[in-house]
Amino acid sequence: MPRLFLFLSIAFSILIEGPRHSIVSAQNQQGASAASLKLPLKAKSVRFAAIGDNGTGTKEQYDVAAQMERFHQRFPFDFVVMLGDNIYGGQTAADFKLKFEDPYKPLLDGGVKFYASLGNHDNPNERFYKPFNMGGKRYYSFKNANATFFALDSNYMDPEQVSWLQQQLSSSSSDWKICFFHHPLHSDGQFHGADVDLRARIEPILENNGVNVVLSGHDHVYERIAPQHGVSYFVIGNSGQLRFHNLRPSSQMMKGYDEDCGFALFEIAGDELYFQVISRKGATIDSGVISRKSNQPGAYLGPKLQFSTTFLSRGL
Amino acid sequence: MRCAVLLAVSGWMVLYAADEIPRHTGAIDDFQNRVAEYAMLHNAAQAKSSAAKQTDSAADILNSQHLLAAEIRQKRQGAVQGSIFSPEISQEFRRLAGTATHGPAAGRVEKSLKRAEPVKLALKVNDTYPQRAPLQSVPPTLLQNLPKLPPELEYRIVGHALVLRDIGANLIVDFIPDLIP
Repeated sequence: MPRLFLFLSIAFSILIEGPRHSIVSAQNQQGASAASLKLPLKAKSVRFAAIGDNGTGTKEQYDVAAQMERFHQRFPFDFVVMLGDNIYGGQTAADFKLKFEDPYKPLLDGGVKFYASLGNHDNPNERFYKPFNMGGKRYYSFKNANATFFALDSNYMDPEQVSWLQQQLSSSSSDWKICFFHHPLHSDGQFHGADVDLRARIEPILENNGVNVVLSGHDHVYERIAPQHGVSYFVIGNSGQLRFHNLRPSSQMMKGYDEDCGFALFEIAGDELYFQVISRKGATIDSGVISRKSNQPGAYLGPKLQFSTTFLSRGL
Repeated sequence: MRCAVLLAVSGWMVLYAADEIPRHTGAIDDFQNRVAEYAMLHNAAQAKSSAAKQTDSAADILNSQHLLAAEIRQKRQGAVQGSIFSPEISQEFRRLAGTATHGPAAGRVEKSLKRAEPVKLALKVNDTYPQRAPLQSVPPTLLQNLPKLPPELEYRIVGHALVLRDIGANLIVDFIPDLIP
């Protein structure tokens, strides 16, 4: 009887939602052996990686970390931005070892710096953990060449943080302004989705103060959103665990991937920001370039839209 | 017709705005005094334990947190639910929170609450906030309406309750049940 119920449930869900496909299907990926670097490695460029929702201590996290190390040998990035949920579960020394120090040991030993932002699974006292480079603060900024990075605490966007963000952004003369924080302002992840109240509060500030790129996590998938009023949004919440087939694409999705874990690499060279998103197995999921000067609505220079029949077949 | 609708909406917005801005200063002043007193207690406890500082050792961070929590518990042995959120203060908080959860932004506040990974816990004053439980994000519109806190404290949402949490000690300082719809 329970088996019959299970069978009927599955059959019913297929009827409702249609067969499931990821936006980037496994067949479309390049194999691990064929993975190539899509970034230009220009002289004096700013090179960094982004990971989100990584601190699980699972095999998935370790596989992604190993892949990061492999790519670091070919693309020596200087730092990693962490999009929150850095340490799931406990906060003991053993947790930090299992979920941060061990998986990223080769990168840490190689001098790669990690800059953390706080997720809803993080104890705010993580800000005192030196390897997270938060300077004891819940939100902070740092500069690298012509780019300034703003790490926000999206768990707790109180008026003081909003004022700080407004002041910091308006006084920054950097060519590139990149914000990173946990809760996405735009997301087609079914489990969480966009934080609309946060979006109402800070999106106008980002748009009015020349922010180019926003990186977030929380939904355990990868997604690149079409630029919104000149701001490009990425969700990279699959660096430690995955919500399989959790994307429900809207018209704002430019690329999505919900079949495996991964991370992203970025290179800023002059007025261009190049990106490459890599799966746990080393396949390139997405790549492209964002032009600072042309980053206006409808002027996105990245790969062409990936709208395909898979959109229609997912019961949107 | 359009003018009449516009006037009606404008009038409602003026009334709503007028309702949102004024605060019952007696209750809020009382609250500010209570949290200022708590902050002093926190700082005294911190002086006796080890001050939070940046370190490579996750064990040291956790140890500092535990020592601070133990000192505070010692100093607040008699604290119960309502020690800070008195009935008058709670009533004013319900009104202030209501402007966020029932006002023009109610829809997006409700969505944000649902999408934040809601947490359900049994709450007790002076208990540690469980390490394994996520800290649900608080909608910015709600934070905007609530009184400012000293840096030692923050508001959090647990189920339908608004919790006052000591950040450094990871302690539940007080809470108002059923504040959030």
